[in-house]
Amino acid sequence: MSNALSTFGLVTVTIFVVAALLEVLTAGGITPYSPYALSPQINVSPSLEHLFGTDFKGTDIFSQVIAALPVDMGISIGVVVTSALLGIVLGTLAGYFRGALDEVIMRLTDMFLAFPQIIMSLAIAATLGPSLLNVTLSLIVVWWPPYVRLVRGAVLAVAAEDYVSVSKALNSSFFYIVRKDALPNILPSVLVYATTDIGSALLTLSTLGYLNVGIPPAMPELGKMVSSVTYNLYLYPTQVIIPALIVMVMVAGFSFLGEGLRESLDVKLRPHILLRGRGLEKLVIDQPKKHGGVGTTPVG
Amino acid sequence: MFFISHVLNPNPALLWAGPKAHPETIKAIAAEYHLNDPLPSQLYYYFQGLLTGNFGIDPQTGRSILSEILFYAPNTLELVLASMVIIIVLGIGLGYISGMRFGTKTDSAIRVFYLTAWSTPYYFGALVAVLVFASYVPLFPSGGNGTVGFSYTPITGVFVLDALLQANWPALQSGLYHLILPATTLALLSFGIVPRIMRSSILDTRWSMHVKAARARGLQEGEVRQKHILRNALIDTTTVIATTFGWLFSGTIIVEKVFAWPGIGQFSYEAIVSDNYPVLVACVFVFTVGVIVANFIADIVYPLLDPRITLGEGG
Repeated sequence: MSNALSTFGLVTVTIFVVAALLEVLTAGGITPYSPYALSPQINVSPSLEHLFGTDFKGTDIFSQVIAALPVDMGISIGVVVTSALLGIVLGTLAGYFRGALDEVIMRLTDMFLAFPQIIMSLAIAATLGPSLLNVTLSLIVVWWPPYVRLVRGAVLAVAAEDYVSVSKALNSSFFYIVRKDALPNILPSVLVYATTDIGSALLTLSTLGYLNVGIPPAMPELGKMVSSVTYNLYLYPTQVIIPALIVMVMVAGFSFLGEGLRESLDVKLRPHILLRGRGLEKLVIDQPKKHGGVGTTPVG
Repeated sequence: MFFISHVLNPNPALLWAGPKAHPETIKAIAAEYHLNDPLPSQLYYYFQGLLTGNFGIDPQTGRSILSEILFYAPNTLELVLASMVIIIVLGIGLGYISGMRFGTKTDSAIRVFYLTAWSTPYYFGALVAVLVFASYVPLFPSGGNGTVGFSYTPITGVFVLDALLQANWPALQSGLYHLILPATTLALLSFGIVPRIMRSSILDTRWSMHVKAARARGLQEGEVRQKHILRNALIDTTTVIATTFGWLFSGTIIVEKVFAWPGIGQFSYEAIVSDNYPVLVACVFVFTVGVIVANFIADIVYPLLDPRITLGEGG
C-alpha cells in the first residue's frame, strides 16, 4: 500500500510539474481559453467545452488553474530550495564549528521558530506589498529555521563518527570533510523533509492567496481563485471546490512522495530536531557513557 | 517584530493621523509616542510597554489594545483548547491503532485519512464543513460562537466555561453547539503530524528489546501495551502535540474568518489588511507567548512520561 501511495505521489507531482513547465515554456499555449478573458457565459457547470466550468466573470476555470500552476509551484519550490540551501550552510557551520558561532546561529533560529508561521508571513507580505518576490521572501523568512536544526543535528551525529576523526587526523580541510563525509549523510534527510515541505509551502502560499495578501492583483493563484468565488459557495459549489481540490491533490502528492522517499531512503522521522526550541536540550537522558565519550546526550 | 515595523514603516505618526493630517498634529503625535527619540530609546519604551501589558491604543477604534485582546483571546482559547482535546484523543488513538495494526487495511485507511486531512488547506476544509454540515445537512450553525441572546457575566471570558461555572445550561448548550463544528474542523485539519509520529514511535517500540523482555517476564499483554509501548510512544508525541499549537494558531486565522468566530485570529487578520501595526504587534506577541507556553507545558509533561528525563543540567 505504501508503494501505491508513493506511486500516486510521484505521478501527481510529475503531472503538475510538467503542466507548469509546459505552461511557462509555451507562454500560456496549453490553456484552452485565456485565463483573464471575460465572457457572457457566466457560472457554467463543468462540461466538455469548459472542463471545470466558468466563474462569475465567465472566465474558464480550467485555464485559470493551468495559468496558476507555475505561480504556485514556482514559489513553493523556490521557497523550499532556498530554505534548504540556507539550512545546509548555516546548519553545517553551526554543527561543525560548535562554540560561539553555533550559539549565535541557533539562538537566531530559535527566535524565528517561535513565531507562528502563517501570521508572520502574512504580516511581512502585507507590509512589503503585493509582488511575487515579496511573497517569496515573506515565506522564506519563516521557512528556513527547521532546516538549520535538521542539518545541525545530522552534522553533530556525523562529526562524532570515527571516520571524521580519521579524516581530521589526516589533515583534511573543512570543505573536504563536508563534501565527502557530512553531505552524503545529510542530504537524504533534507531531501525527504524538503519534498513533503513543498506541500506545506504550497498550503501556506495558497492561504496567503486566499486572504488576498501578497499575490499581485492580476496574477492567477489557486487560493486567490477560491476566495474570489467564496460568496458563490452555496449556489455553485464546484467553482470553490475545484481549485481548492487541486491544491489538496498537489499537497497530498508531495507528502506521499516524501513518505515514499523516506521509506526507500530509510530516513527516520526525528521530530525533536525539526520542531523543538532550545528547551529540550536541557532535558538530559541518563544513559551509560560510551567509553568515556559524550557525557550528555540531547534528546532526539 | 519591532524592527520589522520600523524598517517597513518609516513614519508611523503620518499613518496614524492619516494622509491629510496637519503637520502640527503629526508632530504632536510623534512627540507623545517618543517617535523622535533615537532607536535604542524607542526600543526601551517598546519593551517597557510589552512587559507592563501596555500595548497602546488601537488607532482605528480608539480603545486600548489590551482590552481588545482580552475580549478576543478567550474566544480563541476556547476554540484552540477544544481542538486540542479532539487532537489528543483522536490523534493518539488513531496513531496507536494504526501502529498496532501495522500493515493491515485499518492501518492503510488511517494513514490515508490523516495524510489527506493534513493536505487539506484550512480554507477548503472550513468551507466544505460549512457547506456540508450547515447547508446540505443543517446539523450545526454556520457561524458565531453562540453568545448572542445570552446575558452572562464573564468570569474567565471563555463562554463555555463561564456558562458551566454559573450552571447556565441553555447558554452552555448553545456554546457547545456552536463550538463543535469549528473546533472539529480546526482539529482535523491540524492534527496530521500527531498520528503520524504516534504511529512511527509505536512501530519503533513495538519490537524493541525492552518490550520483548517485558513479555518474557510474563507480564499481561494489556500491561505490556499500556506501560511499555503506549507510554514510550507518548514521549515523542507530546513534543509534536506542543508544536501543533503553532499550527492551530495559524489555522484560527482562516477558521475564525469562515465561521465568523470573534477571536484573535480574525482580529489579527483585520489588523494586517488595514495596516494596523500596533494591533498586529500585540497579536503576534500573544500568539508567540501561546506557542512558548505550549512548549513549556510539554517540558513539564516529559518527566511524568519518561523517568529517565530530569529537568535541569547534568546527566
